[in-house]
Amino acid sequence: ENWDMPTPYGDSTFHTQNIIQFADEVRTATDGALDITVHSANSLIPHAEIKNAVRSRQVPIGEFFLSRLANEDLAFGVDSQPFVATSYDDAEKLWAEQKPVITELLAKQGLKPLFSVPWPAQGLYTNGEISKVEDLNGLRFRAYNAALEEFAALAGAAPVQVEAADIPQAFSTGQVAAMITSPSTGVNSTAWDFVTHYSPINAWVPKNIVVVNQRVFDRLDKTQQAAVLAAAEAAEARGWEMSAAEAAQKTKELAENGITVYEPSAELVDGLQAIGGKMLEGWDSKASDEARAILSGYNK
Amino acid sequence: MSDPLIALVLLGGLILLLSAGLWVAIALGTVAFIALSLFSNAPAGLVMATTLWGHSHSWALTALPLFILMGEILLRSRLSQDMFDGLAPWLSRAPGRLLHVNVFGCAIFAAVSGSSAATAATIGRMSVPELTKRGYPESLILGTLAGSATLGLLIPPSIILIVYGVATEQSIARLFIAGVGPGVMLIALFAGYVAVRAWMNPSLIPNEARHFNLRERLNASRNLIPVALLILGVIGSIYAGLASPTDAAALGVVLATILAWASGAFSWKLLFEALMSATRTSCMIAFILLGAAYLSVAMGFTGLPRNLASWIGAMDLSVTALLLALTLFFIVLGCFLDGISVVVLTTSIIMPMIQAVGIDPLWFGIYLVVVVEMSQITPPVGFNLFVIQGMTGINIMRVAKAAFPFFLLLLLGVALISIFPGIVTYLPSLMGN
Amino acid sequence: MRVFLTRLYQAAGILSAGLIAAICLLVSAQIVLNGLGRLFPGTFPTTIPSYADFSGFMLAGSTFLAMAYTLRSGGHIRVNLIVQRLPAPLMLAAEALSLTLALLFTGIALWFSAALVQESLHYGDVSTGIIPVPLWIPQTPMVVGLGLLMIALVHTLFDLVQTRSSVLTTADEV
Ligand code: NA
Ligand code: NA
Repeated sequence: ENWDMPTPYGDSTFHTQNIIQFADEVRTATDGALDITVHSANSLIPHAEIKNAVRSRQVPIGEFFLSRLANEDLAFGVDSQPFVATSYDDAEKLWAEQKPVITELLAKQGLKPLFSVPWPAQGLYTNGEISKVEDLNGLRFRAYNAALEEFAALAGAAPVQVEAADIPQAFSTGQVAAMITSPSTGVNSTAWDFVTHYSPINAWVPKNIVVVNQRVFDRLDKTQQAAVLAAAEAAEARGWEMSAAEAAQKTKELAENGITVYEPSAELVDGLQAIGGKMLEGWDSKASDEARAILSGYNK
Repeated sequence: MSDPLIALVLLGGLILLLSAGLWVAIALGTVAFIALSLFSNAPAGLVMATTLWGHSHSWALTALPLFILMGEILLRSRLSQDMFDGLAPWLSRAPGRLLHVNVFGCAIFAAVSGSSAATAATIGRMSVPELTKRGYPESLILGTLAGSATLGLLIPPSIILIVYGVATEQSIARLFIAGVGPGVMLIALFAGYVAVRAWMNPSLIPNEARHFNLRERLNASRNLIPVALLILGVIGSIYAGLASPTDAAALGVVLATILAWASGAFSWKLLFEALMSATRTSCMIAFILLGAAYLSVAMGFTGLPRNLASWIGAMDLSVTALLLALTLFFIVLGCFLDGISVVVLTTSIIMPMIQAVGIDPLWFGIYLVVVVEMSQITPPVGFNLFVIQGMTGINIMRVAKAAFPFFLLLLLGVALISIFPGIVTYLPSLMGN
Repeated sequence: MRVFLTRLYQAAGILSAGLIAAICLLVSAQIVLNGLGRLFPGTFPTTIPSYADFSGFMLAGSTFLAMAYTLRSGGHIRVNLIVQRLPAPLMLAAEALSLTLALLFTGIALWFSAALVQESLHYGDVSTGIIPVPLWIPQTPMVVGLGLLMIALVHTLFDLVQTRSSVLTTADEV
């Protein structure tokens, strides 16, 4: 059997490399009976359509950015809520709570999650050092979702919508002056061309997820199902390690290329945590019971 | 069936449908549907709906109708004629005269727009009627337009460089800078070609009635002020950080409307006509883009381009031989797919080959764009050809014939950047590290 | 009937043009806000939430709603170089074939697009941006537009059968 697997990110992204290895392991374990072809970088299905394409069995399996689904249910977006889980340990604990809830939510769409791998924690890119929240006042701040827009507003910054591809140009022309993103994205977009400072504030640890269509999965014979699940488990473990290694490696690369990497001051951290707390109040009033259950389990 | 045979059958089918006079968008879509149904296990109908929806609402595409609308407004106002009146005295002694308006107009516009179709539509809307009226030969009018409009892809901003940069994780800022040198080189090649043709056969170029002294030239230049304001406004808004290139298209429409009204001879009726005409043109182009996207997805499912690319990879070629093979491969693929599809469908296979033989991925991105520029002017599927047919009613085969010398010039450009890679890499090497 | 249909295509075409104008105004408003935000930082909100999403949705609507109108105005590109040189009966046959294939293709597109909208409704799909938009809303113009295109193709095929002369060669008559 041949499976086509659309993924949103390019071949040099560790997520894609992990998935290619996953496909190799499935192929080996099933003696080539299940052959997964990875179509990276939106080359088969645009990111926005991947989940629904798996749902309607246009493709049996696919990867997407989990918190894209936050508008369906906030339970999908807890990993992208600022200052909830800010380390790999926290993120792992949060995923343990989140997994059963989103498994149930995805099951309603006939989808079965196989594994989920985090991006490195999100850091702050600016020109000049930011030592307290007030330093963000009036800065034009890149916002691409509702949470970030709220965050910018609470920090007194001016949210500006910039598409990912426009980032370098937006910085070099002054359209934006600050953004929060992972060190990987910073290196891949050669952030040193347009910003001077980076601070690993670990605002949140978002994840990608790989899902398979339940009915397609059920049609596999038992040994193939076991092979897929085993490879998925291995991919999840491997992916988390790759992510941690990536975070260290890419932060180092930022520094090597002339960006000043500095630890956030206690004052900045406190200020950001306070904003995170305020945002959670608003979040709580909009969240479903399931989403709230994730957080209360996590905070226990 | 073997891959090369399947490829031949599908290409044959596409040519047959196109020759039978089926609409281009529907011919592409029909071949895609057949390819999916026969040579993949994906559900062809569902994939069609997903593609039609998923590719029709992209933000990057929204600039296209706006740039087309800007061209339509300029055409209906006095601005386009003013621009030619202002330029004519200055170009009266240049060999090729006003034909250079196509070359330089496209080059300037390319700095605003990210696509070659929008560039061809906007500049062509103004220049084709005006140059035809003044008696320039059709083949050179169409050729310079079709050829120079491809600069839209190379001179930043460029949609295709963004796609390449994202897919291969190259810095988009560096890619943009790297496109400038080859862009200038191609402008020189195009302008040089026009000059040589004019010089070899002076009767080809109509005489502008008389010669102008400096004072007259300066006087006539006042006609250029409105268009200069428009270009400054659009480019300025991008570089002042007020607008992304897509945003800037909207600003261009608003500015063009204001200037058209200020220059007199514009009305609500003309604005309405401009809107309706832009709607038809952008619908036509978007429909073809959707058909092309569906074909591209179908190719992804059948795995044909991947397999063909791996087949080249398996040959274990030297750098030069690999580049020659890839150039040929992209030209053939570019006849039937649009440029972005070519890049998207093959990078996964091609990039490892490139890195294995030690070719700089930054250089390769620019090489790829110049090669893909050629696909814009090769029949049967060439977007600049479609735009120009849509605009003039002249059949794409005739347009393609007129554009053929420019295809060869682009090929020369590829040879030049391969022999002198510094044309590409010099400017980015100056960027801070 | 003829008059009614022509009006129908035109109305959809005008709606499409309106959508393009609306994109233009929406994006321009955002640019003005960007400028004001530069001049008076922090005094008022300077983003139109999800304006890129809304522009994209309007573009999709404009594209599909204009399809029938563009077809009837001869705006869709075809390669008629070879067909034009055929003797009259063959040319008519080629046109009939083109129209029939186009009808088939559009029919399939219509059927599966309708299924897509139904699925979006069934699962309550929403867009992922700052403002969640139920996807069936921007997807409906796709279905309507493809439906109109189908009507226009049947209409044109009918013209061909009735007049027994080429109906696809004339452009720009609307
Ligand atoms: Na450009
Ligand atoms: Na082509």
